[in-house]
Amino acid sequence: MAETQRQITLPAELEALPLFREHIKNACQDKAGLDAQSIYDVLLAVDEICTNIITHGYAGMDPGSIILNVEVSAQALIVTISDFGHAFEPVEPPTPNANASLEEREAGGLGLFFVFSSVDEINYESSPVGNTTRLIKNL
Amino acid sequence: MEISITKGTVDIISVNGSVDALTSPELVKVLNDHIHNGHPNIVVDFEKVEFMSSAGLRAILASVKEARTAGGDFRLAAPQPSIEKVLKMAGFHNIVKIYPTVSEAIASFG
Repeated sequence: MAETQRQITLPAELEALPLFREHIKNACQDKAGLDAQSIYDVLLAVDEICTNIITHGYAGMDPGSIILNVEVSAQALIVTISDFGHAFEPVEPPTPNANASLEEREAGGLGLFFVFSSVDEINYESSPVGNTTRLIKNL
Repeated sequence: MEISITKGTVDIISVNGSVDALTSPELVKVLNDHIHNGHPNIVVDFEKVEFMSSAGLRAILASVKEARTAGGDFRLAAPQPSIEKVLKMAGFHNIVKIYPTVSEAIASFG
């Protein structure tokens, strides 16, 4: 099955977020017929993971880099995110209480909730050389 | 992200582009400055927002609280389907009034 892979490496800064999203959108253009919502779901999950790496993973360290690899096949859209910061395993948070009042709302935890809601599989590995988060969206 | 303000009976704040961790601080600042300048009732036009992450939801939450504390309200207009899905996933449709068009959002203020 034909498969496209595209890789980009950028500094772990918030300015890289739109460039990572653009990279994924460009990779998706190689495959006709990918539905817009599936692409959005992956953009959202990747954006949240990269934001966590930038703001928490590299906290207190010299800014490093993030390597993003996109694989598009007929069955799945797979994004592998590698970084060299602190280990930061994504753990599924509780579902937000949709009935909570405005005063009770907490904005924390929504990012990881979106990651787990938007893709089908999340694999995380950490080793002394770095961390890898693999997000799989079945098509 | 670009933000423009249209003055009227209710001011419309139009957002164009992406609301993410990079851009959301600017959005919060513009919205809250506007609210504190004597305009607690605002319609935020999201028609041209193509991407929003949880950082954008934090911005909305902060400004809705700010507007209501100032005696007004923040009402959202014309979000694209993917953005509306994000709002619903987080249960924000229960705390923020969302309208399909800007004119309906303005009319809702009566």
